[in-house]
Amino acid sequence: MSSKLAILFVTGITALCAQETPLDNPVKINLPVDSPLTLIATTLGESHVTQRGSAVVLDLDVSLTLHNSSPNRVRGVTLLVAAQEATPGGKASVSVPSLDVAPNQNFPVRINLRLLRPAQMGGGALVQVNLDGVLFQDYSFYGPNRLDSRRTMTAWEMQAQRDRKYFKSILAAHGVEGLKQAMLESLNRQAERPRLDVQVSRGRAVASAAAGEHNARFAFLRFPGEPVEPVEGWAEIAGNEARNPRIDVRNVSSRQVRSVEIDWIVSDRQGKQYMAGSVPASGPEFNLKAGSTSRVLQDTALRLSKDGGTPLSIFGMTGFVGQVEFADGKVWIPNRESLASAQLLGVLEPSPEEQRLMDLYRKKGPKALADELNKF
Amino acid sequence: MTHPNQSILALYAGQDLGWFTRRRTERHLAACAECRDEVRAFAPVRDSLAALNELPPLSWNRLAIEMKANIRLGLAAGECVRGEPVAGPFPFGLLSNTRALTACAGAMALVALGLFLQRPTPTAAPAIAADNSVLRATAGGIELNQGGQTLSLLHVRSTDVTYSAGAQGSMRAGYVDSDTGNVTINNLYVQ
Repeated sequence: MSSKLAILFVTGITALCAQETPLDNPVKINLPVDSPLTLIATTLGESHVTQRGSAVVLDLDVSLTLHNSSPNRVRGVTLLVAAQEATPGGKASVSVPSLDVAPNQNFPVRINLRLLRPAQMGGGALVQVNLDGVLFQDYSFYGPNRLDSRRTMTAWEMQAQRDRKYFKSILAAHGVEGLKQAMLESLNRQAERPRLDVQVSRGRAVASAAAGEHNARFAFLRFPGEPVEPVEGWAEIAGNEARNPRIDVRNVSSRQVRSVEIDWIVSDRQGKQYMAGSVPASGPEFNLKAGSTSRVLQDTALRLSKDGGTPLSIFGMTGFVGQVEFADGKVWIPNRESLASAQLLGVLEPSPEEQRLMDLYRKKGPKALADELNKF
Repeated sequence: MTHPNQSILALYAGQDLGWFTRRRTERHLAACAECRDEVRAFAPVRDSLAALNELPPLSWNRLAIEMKANIRLGLAAGECVRGEPVAGPFPFGLLSNTRALTACAGAMALVALGLFLQRPTPTAAPAIAADNSVLRATAGGIELNQGGQTLSLLHVRSTDVTYSAGAQGSMRAGYVDSDTGNVTINNLYVQ
């Protein structure tokens, strides 16, 4: 009997500890009353929660169907995903750029999220989804913009127009065969692009990481017509860790600048270049009047490794202005010729639109791609 | 000259040698630059091992509550299945309360140990202060880790993903959703 009791007990506890249950209502979708988007449907797919010891793992597979109830074509949407109870200092967002949703059309947005948290936490909706912004064809914007999604989505839309224009010019000059060649070049470039594993952390690093630390200076690339110029910049380097980048920039335009983003490239001892990240500066404290100079400063550490974990010894750093937002909300980005002449196309990740076009080419071929480009 | 072996030098570097062997090793080191270099080389390894030995932060109170709850559950389960005495392969009289409780306690200890070992543990610890949040790309998505709790955005419908980091404390993963054909960009931010 005692052995039966023990077996029953162990079986019961094991079942309690590893049970996988479907979720009733783990997500709350909040759209403002005057939102240009309406929620048509929410499906939870294979969402489930698994208990593991004293923790629960929540797997959310959410598919939203949104309806464009505005009179404008939607070009991009950003949803703010908050799980504040579990990660009080963190937040997440899901953006869908490169859209072309006509008025009264529906479109899907998928959110796949995993949350690991203690089981003892309180009830209520585990995840809240709020609308952060909608970008329209005419660059008008709706939303609270808590994540600065207006600037981000405007820049993506400008990159989309820039890259479509490039591929359309090839299509016009060299036909579908020329477009095919250009796509193959893009695909090869992306396949060969050196990639880094980057780990981002805010705040202070432990003392042991400071061994061999030194200040390294940025070298800057300049583009014709850029409204903001980098003046000088530094970052603290310790082995494969780069910390606290600070870059002085000067507004050489006649317009007030609201935010600047400097793209950051690192190189190893062999001179191979890798995209490390970007250093943005925005917010009320950053206000760059015409002709003035200001400092882009971030209290962050980037830990860089390559080839599945080998630490990258940082030998050199290069920066360039990747994005400028003016006070009126307009955005400047480098043109494709500037990026090509600085040999950056093989280092930078493709724009979301180029990613979409490459995917379309891969799945449906050059004719379908040409048809897609001709829609715009 | 006979050099001390590697383990003696490692123990010397960690100040773990007995008095006599330490004195003998010191005398050797005074005359042997090669072994002095070996000892110096052990210093960072010793620091790393000390860091590895540190236990992840545990909530002992929570663990205690869990164990108590499991014990109560076990006792309740025992009461549930005890019922009336029935004839069986073993004489019921042999199963005194003491024996049943002992068996139950043993099983609970086993389960508690299982729970303890199964507890989610932090992934590879970066050399960042423990109170910091870390963003990283993983095989299936991007992940924010705050003190063992994690929030991940996954890209289950694509393998061709581009990642980028923002020095303001963000990580981005962009991919084309294979079902919808739409570009989706997942972002995680740490404040």
